[in-house]
Amino acid sequence: MEKQTINVPGVEGFAQPRTRRDFFKTLAVAGAAGVAGAGLFTSKKASAQIGGTQEGDAGILNFALTLENLEADFYTRAVSSGVLSGAALGVVTKLRDTEIAHVEFLTAALQGAGATPAPSPTFTFPPDSLASQSGVLQLASVLEPTGVGAYLGAGPMIQNPVFLEAAGTIAGVEGDHVVAIRNLLGFVPPTTTPFPEALTKDQVLAAIAPFLGMGSMPATGGPGAE
Amino acid sequence: MNGAESRTSPVGIDQERSRRDFLKTAAWATAAISAAGIGGFGVATRFANADHEPVPETVGPLTINYDTYLGLGDAAILSFALQLERLEGTFYANGVDAGIFSGPALAQITAIRDAEMAHVDFLTAGLQGAGAPVPPAPNLTYPPGVFQDPAAFLNLAATFEPVGIGAYGGAAAALESKEFLASALSIHNAECQHRVGINILQGVQPPNDLLFEPTLPLQAVVDAVAPFGVTPG
Repeated sequence: MEKQTINVPGVEGFAQPRTRRDFFKTLAVAGAAGVAGAGLFTSKKASAQIGGTQEGDAGILNFALTLENLEADFYTRAVSSGVLSGAALGVVTKLRDTEIAHVEFLTAALQGAGATPAPSPTFTFPPDSLASQSGVLQLASVLEPTGVGAYLGAGPMIQNPVFLEAAGTIAGVEGDHVVAIRNLLGFVPPTTTPFPEALTKDQVLAAIAPFLGMGSMPATGGPGAE
Repeated sequence: MNGAESRTSPVGIDQERSRRDFLKTAAWATAAISAAGIGGFGVATRFANADHEPVPETVGPLTINYDTYLGLGDAAILSFALQLERLEGTFYANGVDAGIFSGPALAQITAIRDAEMAHVDFLTAGLQGAGAPVPPAPNLTYPPGVFQDPAAFLNLAATFEPVGIGAYGGAAAALESKEFLASALSIHNAECQHRVGINILQGVQPPNDLLFEPTLPLQAVVDAVAPFGVTPG
């Protein structure tokens, strides 16, 4: 009997980045278009900055922890910057508190599993991203789908179902954030996509590399360069 | 992972996986329990299955529910998910057709309707692709007045979305097929995004109001949707 095939959006996006063009579009929004040219080189450098236990589920959780630290750091700075007011201040303050809660959860879960949590890297953000409310929201609109995509891409590789369930509950909240930010940016309707996209690890690393202080790195790479 | 090689029959694709996972869960739970006293990260366990493997009941602030879906099998989980999507999709379709919404609210309700219908189509194709029966459409009933009153409609929407979120969030880790798992995580995420979309229409400030999106045990989902005519396949 011939095997049936089905279209599985999550897996397709994970295995074959069909969203590459859209993804690089969001990178451009972040002012990080140069990273696209650096490709794997940048990814490896970024990957090397994520510490703690690297094997198996703990490695995935540490990757997630680094993303949560990135978001928590950015929103903490955004709330302190004084450029936010009104509904945006309310949303971003809650974003900050939520990402900090995720950091605490993942840290405790890793410790509970006997793994070493990755220390938070020192992040840098483009000055524009903290100079105005619009700048904060624009960068948030890049960070949040990256977080969603990372959890959706990594989720199927998590072996321990307890970690998997926990990752799902956090991924969902990152999805919440996508909508809250889109709403502040004036998208009508704010909620649209039936199948939020998964990202590969390299895509996520490329997205966060600029905030690991490598955004201005000269593109010495190219095909085959390591 | 590329190409047709990975597109094997979605149900029963890796029968050994859940067993392996289970052993790892047990090992992790043991480690978690031993660490629970350190730093106050509480882990309670229960023995909820025939093999008496300990499954953490809570992990920190989270309630763990995937074990209540174990043993159903992928087809039954997808079948139940399909009925939930039909419940939601029909609800939003009626909401759009009722003429009680306009402007941005109508645009949002329409987009959510389209998403739920896309989920219906996807799950139907998934079941068919797996050679599993597609359950007949349930005889859906909705409370009187919800399609005449925008506030009542949004209140019910705000009730439906967390049920869908809790169901997908709870069942995902019980799925054996990684393809279905990836899809369930994506759909779960969409339901979370719907929940916040409804929050926005209801004026909830800030609309991103949760630190975690709670999962639900199977029985809670069954009980929640029974009044609307939905029963598990």
